[in-house]
Amino acid sequence: MTIVSGKAEARRTLQSARSDVLRKMWEHRADYAYVLPAIAVMLIVIAYPIYYTIELSFFNTPPGLQLRDKIFVGFNNYGAILTSGVFWQVTFNTLIWTVASTFFSFALGFAAALALHRDFIGRGVLRAILIIPWVISAVAASYIWKWIYHSDFGIIGAVLVELGWASRPPNFIDSVSTVLPSLIVVNIWREFPFAMIMMTAGLQTVPEQLLRAAKVDGANAWQRFWHVTFPHLRNVSTVTILLLAVANFNSFIIPWIMTGGGPSNASHIWITHIYELAFGRQRWGVASAYSVLLFIILMTLGYFYVRALSGNERKDGGA
Amino acid sequence: MSTVSETIPRGRSARRVRIDGWRWGGRAFLVFMLLYTALPMIWMLLTSIKSGFAAMQFPPQWWPDQPTLASYQKLLDPQNSVGQDFLRFFWNSLIVSTATTILSVIVAVPAAYAFSRFTFPGRNFLFFAVLLRNMFPAVIFLVPLFILMRAIGLVNTHGSLVLTYLTFGLPLAIWLLKGFYDNIPVQLEQAARIDGATRFQAFVLIVMPLSAPGIIATAIYSFIGAWNEYIYAYTFLSKNEQLTLPVGIQRFFSENTTDFPGLMAASFMMSVPVVVLFLLLQRYFVRALTEGAVKH
Amino acid sequence: MAHVVLKDLVKTYGSFKAVNEVSLTVNDGEFVALVGPSGCGKTTTLNLVAGLTSVTSGDIFIGDRVVNDLDPKDRDIAMVFQNYALYPQKSVYMNLAFPLQMRKLPKDEIDRKVREAARVLDMTQLLERKPRELSGGQQQRVALGRALVRDPAVFLMDEPLSNLDAKLRVQMRSEIKRFHQDLKATIIYVTHDQLEAVTMADRMAVMNGGYLQQYDSPAQVFAHPANMFVASFVGSPAMSLIPLEASTANGGAVLTSAEGWSLALSPRNAQKVARATTRKVVLGARHSTIKLHKSAVAGAIPAKAYTVEPTGDVTFVQAFLSGAIVNISVSPNVAVAPDEQIWLEFDQERMHLFDSETEMALEAS
Repeated sequence: MTIVSGKAEARRTLQSARSDVLRKMWEHRADYAYVLPAIAVMLIVIAYPIYYTIELSFFNTPPGLQLRDKIFVGFNNYGAILTSGVFWQVTFNTLIWTVASTFFSFALGFAAALALHRDFIGRGVLRAILIIPWVISAVAASYIWKWIYHSDFGIIGAVLVELGWASRPPNFIDSVSTVLPSLIVVNIWREFPFAMIMMTAGLQTVPEQLLRAAKVDGANAWQRFWHVTFPHLRNVSTVTILLLAVANFNSFIIPWIMTGGGPSNASHIWITHIYELAFGRQRWGVASAYSVLLFIILMTLGYFYVRALSGNERKDGGA
Repeated sequence: MSTVSETIPRGRSARRVRIDGWRWGGRAFLVFMLLYTALPMIWMLLTSIKSGFAAMQFPPQWWPDQPTLASYQKLLDPQNSVGQDFLRFFWNSLIVSTATTILSVIVAVPAAYAFSRFTFPGRNFLFFAVLLRNMFPAVIFLVPLFILMRAIGLVNTHGSLVLTYLTFGLPLAIWLLKGFYDNIPVQLEQAARIDGATRFQAFVLIVMPLSAPGIIATAIYSFIGAWNEYIYAYTFLSKNEQLTLPVGIQRFFSENTTDFPGLMAASFMMSVPVVVLFLLLQRYFVRALTEGAVKH
Repeated sequence: MAHVVLKDLVKTYGSFKAVNEVSLTVNDGEFVALVGPSGCGKTTTLNLVAGLTSVTSGDIFIGDRVVNDLDPKDRDIAMVFQNYALYPQKSVYMNLAFPLQMRKLPKDEIDRKVREAARVLDMTQLLERKPRELSGGQQQRVALGRALVRDPAVFLMDEPLSNLDAKLRVQMRSEIKRFHQDLKATIIYVTHDQLEAVTMADRMAVMNGGYLQQYDSPAQVFAHPANMFVASFVGSPAMSLIPLEASTANGGAVLTSAEGWSLALSPRNAQKVARATTRKVVLGARHSTIKLHKSAVAGAIPAKAYTVEPTGDVTFVQAFLSGAIVNISVSPNVAVAPDEQIWLEFDQERMHLFDSETEMALEAS
């Protein structure tokens, strides 16, 4: 008798799952008190700005005019953006900046995590030193590298001249062709430690037993890495790469302080361009429209991110 | 079988027995990474102890001929206008970062605990909040937040920065802490409640001490984030006496473009607090990531 | 010490009923085991008594108080958890002292009680250690000590032995039983292991699917299982349950198998079968009540041995009968080989009959 009623119970559970949500929320109303402060702050400082940006993107704000006297222009701002030459140059820069920074930061960080996984004397010190660039302020990093790249007194130029590889110090950040790669080197310098920390944490969760089992089964070091370690790290790798990609997409300080987007827009990426439009030229409407386009791109990325994560969870959860 | 177990030391890594090519490759790579990481910082230090004249030479003095602490003395001298500014910026940064850190912990701890312990609808919101925070660049929020801050009268106050930093640090803080609470058996609290503690006492006396590493990690993260933040400080603050270090330094050296020893000394001193803090507490940070974010 | 009464206790999660109309009384000083498979509601029931979960409907009395809305701390109970739930950052001494500190006892009294509990449980030398430095058995003892030190009205134990290895479990079993006898404590003990319940408890409450199936002394539950679930759950190896059909032949009641054989029933058993709501009846027999013959005997049923498991002092033989597995125990000096032809004789006095529709035991009037 109990078995039969148990089954009926389960069926009923499925049917009424949806209508339960509201009642559950009511039953748990006290629990919300714990998260209310967090959610309230998030709503004010994140939701409202998003709304306001979207609204502003449909208005024109001529310089010198008060913001509240904005003029409705429909999709004109979007049209202006998509037809401007700067847009495509900046987009191209952003793509190179994001892809190269993300790829090299992740590759170097992952490799460093692997190389530091084996214990040796001084490992802790080495790991700590490698993390420092991530901790110090991007403003300080920008100045340090600006000085290193200095066209007259920079140390890299001096070393190249000293070694006879160049007759005079090259212009790293004052030249259209080298400025973007030079800034990417700085960005990687600051970001690979993040990938290293994440992957170090990930490596610690690889079950030792599996590695031993693989070894007993005759797998060599590379095979063990490829068949055991790497699949185990797929989840944390996905998260790390996406977080890096989003952070790089949103970079501002390094190009802003080091070059201000120059020379001739060669190091302008989306965010610096938006900032200049808004705060340099008071073109709030266009800047907002840019921001909305950015939302859309980032939300698409985010969608794949969530899907990748939940896909993994489903696979893991089945076990 | 016996040979296998002999060649695997009890150590943490079975990769210890990789062929030598891998090992030497790994070492060479680490040397390269060490140089890449450390040389810029070493050059910053060497430059900071040169005189302005010595720094501007070609070929450069690889090692300063006449090392001097003049730049540091200037920055730390309260009698001198440069020193006054620098010390004030430093103090401002300290206040903003400390306030952000304390508030982050106060808000994040109960929220993380609730997300871990209670099964109310909407828990997954947290996950998306983390995502959202990372998705949207600071620039997007600048204008509306500026207007918002003006409406609530916080423009040109440190409060505007604290509020902003708080929201941007919160999602990750909650996420990290939630991982910690997930790993603390709920039976510990139940035992405490049966032993005579209220729910609150059980939390404070039993759970809080166990989650201390997570709280410390959260605090470091908030502090470093606030200490290094630039864009909002750059936009929200205009009065010289309120500037935080990153903005202050930038503003100062846009007027003194050739004082590279001074700039390097200032960069160094700006980095010291966060680097020291991080190095002291980094093991908590990695642990928090492992337990909170990665195992997840 | 106090008695505990559960009255029509119900706990639902959404529309899932975890505990369903459970009523039972635990007498003062009685040791009651809540036993059942995982998910049967036994731990939820214990958490309801502890106050860790809120009651949906029904009442819980501890002593003469209704405690439904009291905090755990005000219920005068102590609890031992499956994972011991020792506070990892506190020493053994501080673990034992915690419940007393929470009750704001004076320091010297706390010290006296902690040392007394340590002495009783023979762990005085462990007082300064941290839980992680203790073995599983020692941790278990500290958990017990932390419950004991408070002198509560009721002890609640949630699978306290299931994290221990087999040998230690047997030892701790007798220690807890001794503890109960010495203290005359009221204990509610949750376990999924029917053997623990049978060996330790004064009475056992068998639960399944959120329902209380049977509540009686272990001997009664063993001898008179109320339904097929209890019959198959209590006892090891499990009672064999053979689905058969009741009919009459030669003027007497018989059970016939789809395999062709039939079993004549004693008048008393015939009476039971007559009370069934259906012709389909399930025959239940414990391994020790089935006689194994190596040659045909009147009334014995032919079968083939499937597996033979010697355990030392007794050998278990498994055979298939009417689609069900039948366990038989034989003396080790009876040699049976797999696939050997055997004959099984059922003890009419000690066999059980169940209605296959209601799954309830059939009783003579």
